[in-house]
Amino acid sequence: MLEMLGLYPQWYVPGIGTAWVMGIIGTIHVLASHTSVGAAWLFALLAQKSVSENKPEIMLYLKKYGMFLLVFSYIIGSITGPGIWYSVTVASPRGISGLIHNFVWLWASEWVFFFVEVIGVYAMVYLIGKIDNKTYLKLAWSFALASWATMILIVPILSFMMWPGNDQWYSTGSTFDAAFNLNYFAHLGIRTAFMFAVAGAVGGIIAATLKDRETRIEITRFLSKMGLAGMFLMLVMFMWYTATLPENARLIMETQMMPKYGSTLGALLLATLVYFIFTAWKPMYLRQGVAVVMTLAIGLFGLWPEERSRESMRKPYVAGQYIYSNQFFSRDVPGKGVVSDMPLIEAKGVLATNYFVPEELRKITPENQLRAGEVLTKIMCANCHSVESDGALRPLPPLFGHSDEPKMIQAYLDGALYHGKIPYMPRMPLPEDERAAMALYIASLSGYTPPAVAVSQATHSSSAKGVN
Amino acid sequence: MDVASTAAMLHTLQDPTGIPSHPLIFQVLMVFTWVPHILFVNISLGAALMGLYAFTKRHDPHWQKLSEAMTKVAKVGVSLLVVLGVAPLLFTQTIYDPQWYASNLLSASWVIGFIFTLTIGYLAWFTFYLKNHGDHAPGWIFWLGVFGLAMFFLDGFIMHVLAYQGLHPEKWVEWYTPDGHVDMSGNSVHAYELVRWGFFMAMSVTVFGAFLIAYGDYFKVRADRGPAYLAFARKLGSQIAFVGAVAQVVLLLGWMLDVPAALKIWTHPMSWLLLIYLGVLVAAFAVARGSDTQGQGYKLLTLSIGMAGLVAIFREVLRMAYMAPFNYSVLDYKVLWDVPSFVLFLLTIVGVGGLMGGFIITLVYKAGRVSGVYQADATVSRLGVGSVAATALWVAGFMAVGIWIWLSNNG
Ligand code: HEC
Ligand code: HEM
Repeated sequence: MLEMLGLYPQWYVPGIGTAWVMGIIGTIHVLASHTSVGAAWLFALLAQKSVSENKPEIMLYLKKYGMFLLVFSYIIGSITGPGIWYSVTVASPRGISGLIHNFVWLWASEWVFFFVEVIGVYAMVYLIGKIDNKTYLKLAWSFALASWATMILIVPILSFMMWPGNDQWYSTGSTFDAAFNLNYFAHLGIRTAFMFAVAGAVGGIIAATLKDRETRIEITRFLSKMGLAGMFLMLVMFMWYTATLPENARLIMETQMMPKYGSTLGALLLATLVYFIFTAWKPMYLRQGVAVVMTLAIGLFGLWPEERSRESMRKPYVAGQYIYSNQFFSRDVPGKGVVSDMPLIEAKGVLATNYFVPEELRKITPENQLRAGEVLTKIMCANCHSVESDGALRPLPPLFGHSDEPKMIQAYLDGALYHGKIPYMPRMPLPEDERAAMALYIASLSGYTPPAVAVSQATHSSSAKGVN
Repeated sequence: MDVASTAAMLHTLQDPTGIPSHPLIFQVLMVFTWVPHILFVNISLGAALMGLYAFTKRHDPHWQKLSEAMTKVAKVGVSLLVVLGVAPLLFTQTIYDPQWYASNLLSASWVIGFIFTLTIGYLAWFTFYLKNHGDHAPGWIFWLGVFGLAMFFLDGFIMHVLAYQGLHPEKWVEWYTPDGHVDMSGNSVHAYELVRWGFFMAMSVTVFGAFLIAYGDYFKVRADRGPAYLAFARKLGSQIAFVGAVAQVVLLLGWMLDVPAALKIWTHPMSWLLLIYLGVLVAAFAVARGSDTQGQGYKLLTLSIGMAGLVAIFREVLRMAYMAPFNYSVLDYKVLWDVPSFVLFLLTIVGVGGLMGGFIITLVYKAGRVSGVYQADATVSRLGVGSVAATALWVAGFMAVGIWIWLSNNG
């Protein structure tokens, strides 16, 4: 058994919770990065077409498209990429640390691709029309492949966050066993398909402004077909993907995600299909504004649910079904020498074993009970729940029916949570006094005033120390 | 927190997963991948400042041309420095995870602020760049540029805070629980060292100056950049670099005085090596300042890159000194070798980095020196084939290995 927990300080964001901070940055990043990879392929395909069919006007389109590709997707993608990384760092330090220590060489390989990509993107934009066609094509195809490679390299990590899908990695600890997990290929398939679909929509923003009628029709049709193919592939891959998910994820998808987002996603799917079919049929009717709206709609109504679902569906874990969202190790991983935190918190609790707890809270007393309860609740629950009644992230008071009875709340902590009976919540085998303190605090959120606090408030009202 | 508890805490915080190769490999990569990051930080900050200064004198054609050019350099430079920052970020988090995560969590709001300010700062700068053309560029865009640069300075400062707070593990718990009251807001900056930050800013002056001299040399074969303009750029560059190098010496001494005496940084050979090297730089730029630097640009730039290499090593030596009392040495990190993924990295950096990177850099370099359409020579042409082949083979190879492992684990 361990002696102390390796927990870090906690960042608590009132109202929206750290999960939403990640979701917001994640959505922007996914939209930008998939657009940029899709655009890289579009660029290569169209450059090829321009050269082999001797249509220089397509190159002119690319020159225009290139600026856009550069600003919108590549730059925003490359700043928000580290942005996700930073936000995950402060939302889930042990989660990202676990991933980094497993996948550091995959990430380092991805970085090599990033580096050649960033110089490649400038080369593509500035050298268009300034170097011979053959060399330009080599550049464009290297760039397209390299962009896709960055996706090929990040998906192992993202899909491992869901689960390894078999027991191999737990005993070998091998990076490749973790990388080529059960849902890797399905996940890669969805993202690849999505990148074509979104590039089809984004391409329209520029295509709609082309002057030459024939080129405009041709390119718009090309984009529509690419978008449709992407959508179709995405549906197929999605079906495969759901078949590779763990039980808890499928449960959350069916009971929580579908009721919440199902109709939005369905409507978006329909709208996108109509959009692509219509623009293939009547390319000249496509207006720039419509393409902008379509792109934003995909981001808002498609990616936001996707990002939130991916986060929700791997509950109670944040990575590899061995790190819980609230940063505790749920099990041993013999292949890596990782030891479960559960026996330690069962024996000694969290206050005594976490370095980042004030000395005076290490032992619960009637006077500090409420403050101890607050710290504990934030450590144990805040990754997934706001404590404010009107918080955006599954707020706790309403989930307890705004109960102000510590006993009732503690019954839940003693039973379901203690034994890990809820498929989407971590097991929390905390000692009796810590559970009592949490129950007290959660009840106080709905108006309960514990006797000890009432007394001390009456005697010296200035010593309201708490967590902010 | 006392030394023994701090040491115990650091070891508990280390990720129990261990690392997949010898720590020295990560340490060397961390130090040397940081060099290009800081070089582009330096060039971008310097170029942005110069772009703005020159903008105010844009009635003069030389300054106007310089303003446009430097605005563009900063635009490209920032996007490169971001990508180049990823590698040291990865390796720091691999071997100095307790320091990095604790420091980030303690100032979490700033970490998120860093991303937002970097994004809007960059968009502001980009808009300034789009409008900064010709001598009739509207005056108001100046403030857009100033805003962008201010954000970059702020972000550099946040970076500094994150690095510096990580060096004081003995204070983390105190910072997190002031007066026994737990602060989960992440709103505070707990510690910074202005001389250290100032040193990196002075370094920007030096490196940018050297860059400007090299810029003057690079374009000398282009008929559309007049020799008078290039000489103007070189002269400006050598004056700037001299000032920067002198400021660096002063700030380095200040920095070393500020480091706790117990760390004995004054007796470390690395400190003296860096001081002496900076002395040589001061002398080199003093000479350059008084003469025509034509043809000297690459030499002076290389000299400055060497300085950045020494600064990187010095930073690490200092970090090791800060960590020594806590018995924290990266060399003790638990290692569980993972050979296949390490080989993947080596193949990627040699195959893709070498061929595709080599192709693009050679192509850009050669095409940039031609005014009209550039016709690839045999070397570039062969590199191009190598570049496509290497990336295609990489994708095919990765997929093949993946399918094989997937089938044997899930079949
Ligand atoms: C890994 C994330 C996670 C953590 C940590 C977590 N929960 Fe939950 N909890 C959930 C999810 C997901 C739901 C389902 C919410 C919904 O239905 O909207 C939920 C639902 C609940 C419910 C409603 C009843 C139910 O069974 O669905 C209660 C009560 C609750 N949580 C209490 C807590 C408390 C108290 C803690 C901390 C001790 C905690 N949770 C920690 C994810 C978490
Ligand atoms: C305009 C933006 C930026 C500026 C001005 C900047 C500047 C700096 C400076 C001055 C340092 C040295 C700090 C010190 O040692 O005191 C530094 C270090 C570092 N930077 Fe940046 N940086 C920027 C963006 C980034 C980004 C986007 C990343 C990551 C993707 C990054 C990654 C790093 C890393 C990993 C270190 C080393 C930290 C350590 O060793 O603890 N930087 N940066």
